[in-house]
Amino acid sequence: MIEVNGKKVEWEKDMTVEKLLKKMNFTFPKIVVRVNGKVIEKSDWQDYPIPDQSVVQAHHLIAGG
Amino acid sequence: MATSIEDMRKSRKVLAGYDYEQAGVEKGYTGKTLYINISDYTIKPKDVTEEMKDIFIGGKGFGLWYLWNGIKPETKWNDPENEIVISSGPIGGITQYPGSGKSLVVTLSPLTKSIMDSNVGGFFGPYLKFSGWDALEIQGKSEKDIVVFIDGDKGRVTIEEVDIDPAASHLVSEQLTELLAENEKDKKNISIVSSGSGGENTNIGILNFSFYDLRRKAARMKQAGRGGIGTVFRDKKIAALAVKFSSLSGRSNNPADPAKVAKTGVKITREINKFDAEQFRMRQIGTANLMTPMNDYDLLPVHNFKYGSHPDAVGISSDTLRDRFTQNMPDGCWVGCALSCCKAVDNFELKTGPYKGDKVLVDGPEYENAAGLGANCGIFDADYVIEANFYCDTYGIDTISTGTLIAFAMECYENGIIDKKITGGLELNFGNADAAMELIHQMGQGKGFGKIAGQGVRRMKQIFAEEYGADPAFLQDIGMENKGLEYSQYQAKESLAQQGGYAMTNKGPQHDEAWLIFMDMVNNQLPTFEKKAEALHYFPMFRTWFGLMGLCKLPWNDIIPEGNSQTESPEKIPEHVQNYIDIFNAVTGKNIDQDEMIRQSERVYNFQRIFNLRLGFGTREHDAAPYRALGPVTEEEYESRIERYDNQLKEDVGIDPSGMSIAEKVKAMRKYREGRYETLIDVVYDRRGWTKNGVPKLEKIKELGIDFPEVVDVVKKNL
Repeated sequence: MIEVNGKKVEWEKDMTVEKLLKKMNFTFPKIVVRVNGKVIEKSDWQDYPIPDQSVVQAHHLIAGG
Repeated sequence: MATSIEDMRKSRKVLAGYDYEQAGVEKGYTGKTLYINISDYTIKPKDVTEEMKDIFIGGKGFGLWYLWNGIKPETKWNDPENEIVISSGPIGGITQYPGSGKSLVVTLSPLTKSIMDSNVGGFFGPYLKFSGWDALEIQGKSEKDIVVFIDGDKGRVTIEEVDIDPAASHLVSEQLTELLAENEKDKKNISIVSSGSGGENTNIGILNFSFYDLRRKAARMKQAGRGGIGTVFRDKKIAALAVKFSSLSGRSNNPADPAKVAKTGVKITREINKFDAEQFRMRQIGTANLMTPMNDYDLLPVHNFKYGSHPDAVGISSDTLRDRFTQNMPDGCWVGCALSCCKAVDNFELKTGPYKGDKVLVDGPEYENAAGLGANCGIFDADYVIEANFYCDTYGIDTISTGTLIAFAMECYENGIIDKKITGGLELNFGNADAAMELIHQMGQGKGFGKIAGQGVRRMKQIFAEEYGADPAFLQDIGMENKGLEYSQYQAKESLAQQGGYAMTNKGPQHDEAWLIFMDMVNNQLPTFEKKAEALHYFPMFRTWFGLMGLCKLPWNDIIPEGNSQTESPEKIPEHVQNYIDIFNAVTGKNIDQDEMIRQSERVYNFQRIFNLRLGFGTREHDAAPYRALGPVTEEEYESRIERYDNQLKEDVGIDPSGMSIAEKVKAMRKYREGRYETLIDVVYDRRGWTKNGVPKLEKIKELGIDFPEVVDVVKKNL
């Protein structure tokens, strides 16, 4: 189990940032991702592993039209 | 009506004139405003005092101050003493920083009966200032249609009769631009403000502010859309306002520190050039870039805000609309805006209405238009949305209110509250584009059921209950208005903070005060009432600031600077906030910091709240929200998201939903959500320094320095 934006989410083997965002349907173009407090740049999302028990923040940067 | 520009020229009859000498702009201000009374043809300057600059800054602040002094507590929107005030602000008109050409319009609204403000792009505000005027204040009511001309080149203001048909705003803009321009190149020096026949026939009239697009050779338009300002404009029998100023330069605003302004502008322009294509694609799609993500996150209003997404939304998705917009055009609504978000559809052939068969330029659709006219009415057809957008603009009716009120009428029709007999044959089912288009024509032209619909959701609720026997409680639940203004187009059911961001606003549920849905619902950054209240303090105050300055909100956070993710509060875009402080200081020569920036807004925000009180509004009861904005009204809505709602009952409310009927679940959910909304109001009011009834406390207004005797009087009467 991991925590994403404060909510429990089932952890999956070989989970990466990219796979997590896909699982969450987080399609927004501007998201700041932190895994256990570390900012992960977008260029690293494909390969960056998310270990079980991680605390993930996926903050969408938008404040409306 | 005149059949040619030459005939129009010959028809000009000056009713009153005023010659003036331009004082010039000094650090963002001319120090003068222009007062025009169209009842008795008074035209005179007023001095801008230092106190006005310190407390009200400009833009909306100036508008509120003049309106406060111009009307009485009992003044109605259609009384001659109601005013329309247009003002940009000290930063307005600079060409170095994107989004610096905005104007704020303030008046008493026919929809809310209280204060309305609406922001708008186009060239009028900056040209007004550079012609010598920090604000234009119009009072009175003419007996016949008039046009006000402000010639900033010659230093002359005239009130004139002109043989022009005010019914279609796109033609008024085009014809008056043609009339005033000496040649094609000169057209860029002209801006026209007009409304249209919808301003005469509905309560949702808008003002169109023109800007001339040299590449397209067309007078395009941006809208001051909210709250029926165009209705006031046409009630005063103003056919148009026109300004001409031919000497625009990068120094026109005469800033204290031009090098600093330029440096800050270069920095963000580079960011836009580098990142826009990979971030929000404002230069390709404008705000319509939100269509797809809003649908993906269940936030796109569908069927009168019942739902947040629809499988057919691809028909009006971001990419579908991108393919309709002409690409690679400099689509800024003010000079120097690199964000260039005001996209347009060129050569669109109209299929309906008085201009059927014409190939026209359509400004938009922006997100609100596509979401409101399209998804909220269950119409996922890009052609319909583009055509509806065009006609709303040229009739001069608000696309946001139009979308929300048609969606409301559709839900009433589907529930048998109104029928074909009442609608004059219109089958107002969700998804019926032909009926919706016909209703727009009826509203614009003051015909049929359009005469009822055009009065807005609040009035429709009253009529449907009183004349057609509808259940007022159900209408209250599904009628998406607060304070009399129709909701703008975001589904806020799952964000308590945004529910407050909509309904606790000064003017009504428009998202320009706060948009907290992602911070609250998706990011879960506001888990407590206190954090939500802090956001509902900071963001409305921060965003109010744009409307004091002549600035557009979009370059604040629709482009994200490098390194923003590493900052402590990425959602505030700290680097851009600093840019704004730097620019304000560089223009005015003052030295504010971020705290003072928020206090500048707080003064005006609280003053506006007290102004509402003075008019009999502004208390807690007026911050109530229709339940559709808070949660599922009907069993159908509950069932559509049953897993989500059942989980919330179990985890958040502490009720086991198994064994409960859907009706029981809807009831339990409602009790929970309404209770939370009331708690939110308490905590937000406390954070803002207001009483439990929403009245700013005396110590608060003293602390802000707005404790003028007449302000204190109003507050005391409401404590």
